Amino acid sequence: MWRIIPGQELHYREWDEEFVLFNDLSGDTHLLGISAIQLLQVLQQSAAGDDALTDSLCASLEIERDGEVEDQVRQLLNDLQSLHLVEMVS
Amino acid sequence: MTTLSSYSRSEFESQLQHRGVYLKTGAFTTRIQSTIPSVVDSVALLYADYPVLEDAKFADFHIRMARPSNVRRWFKPQVNFLYDGMAPFKPLPLDQAFPMFEWGLNWCVASKANRYLIIHAAVIEKNGFAAILPAPPGSGKSTLCAALVARGWRLLSDELALIRSEDGMLVPLPRPISLKNASIDIIGSYEPSTVFSKPVADTTKGTVAHARPPLESVRRADEFARPAWVVFPKYEAGSEAKLEPLSRARSFMSVADNAFNYSLLGRMGFDTLARVMDASMSYQFTYSRLDDAIDVFSSLKPLIK
Repeated sequence: MWRIIPGQELHYREWDEEFVLFNDLSGDTHLLGISAIQLLQVLQQSAAGDDALTDSLCASLEIERDGEVEDQVRQLLNDLQSLHLVEMVS
Repeated sequence: MTTLSSYSRSEFESQLQHRGVYLKTGAFTTRIQSTIPSVVDSVALLYADYPVLEDAKFADFHIRMARPSNVRRWFKPQVNFLYDGMAPFKPLPLDQAFPMFEWGLNWCVASKANRYLIIHAAVIEKNGFAAILPAPPGSGKSTLCAALVARGWRLLSDELALIRSEDGMLVPLPRPISLKNASIDIIGSYEPSTVFSKPVADTTKGTVAHARPPLESVRRADEFARPAWVVFPKYEAGSEAKLEPLSRARSFMSVADNAFNYSLLGRMGFDTLARVMDASMSYQFTYSRLDDAIDVFSSLKPLIK
């Protein structure tokens, strides 16, 4: 299961489907795409696992779920974890 | 208001030597003291139109340009930049005293004025809308800035964009424009009425000279400006002028990279810069001919809100 790291308020701004997000814990600013923001928005509501997140993203982007999409979501979550925006919880 | 030009030479020299001259440069008051002739000459020439606060008791920055008291006062003479009595930099050769004063004053603003978001950028304004030109050294920013100012744009700064967090407005800091090497002759030819300080050779930037800003830019130093464009200039010899739109999110990241205190300000820096990007179109601008650049900037249209 994934969740937003406590303390992250997900303060971001959007221009033309590109996003800049302020990292409350590190003070960094990140340039993110729409998929990353949508995952974060889902997690902001509640913790979720890979499956639920992949389904949610496919629904919002109106794309079919397949192995490639699942790999991309997993990679994206790992990237967000490395930015200290999300973490895995048991 | 009293300007520096109202002082006689002897009054000015005496003030600089003793009490100091309290010079108003936009948002800041700087108290300057020096007996070094090149500093006296260059300040008198380039800051002639600037207000002087005759009864001031407060200054944002207290600067003294002074020769060392050791052997380097006479042997290969040097100059120190003293800020509040302390020397934050190593001394430079005495003939670099005025450029050192300008660079040092930039350092004062960039490192101390953290009530603003400060971007390493030129800022110019026309018809109520301002263009921010962020650029690393060597991109041709100052040459472009000097040319635009010579053709009717108001100078807010050739080096430091100061942005208010409460409303995203740009705060003027019109000071002499720093030019180096070939740019000195280029601008001298482009606008023959330009008043320059005496060029100083062999600095870390090569030969440098400072150009006096237009009187109107100095007189309007209390007028804030609304940002409308963020333009990243790049001089490329022989190229046609090309203005390419940039994504505002990517432009945000590049501007943040060019800021002195973006990280220091944290969330306030983020929100302030976001406000600027909300209001601004972003472009990459490549050019080689100054007249082409003037035409392109004249054609810029602000975002319609």
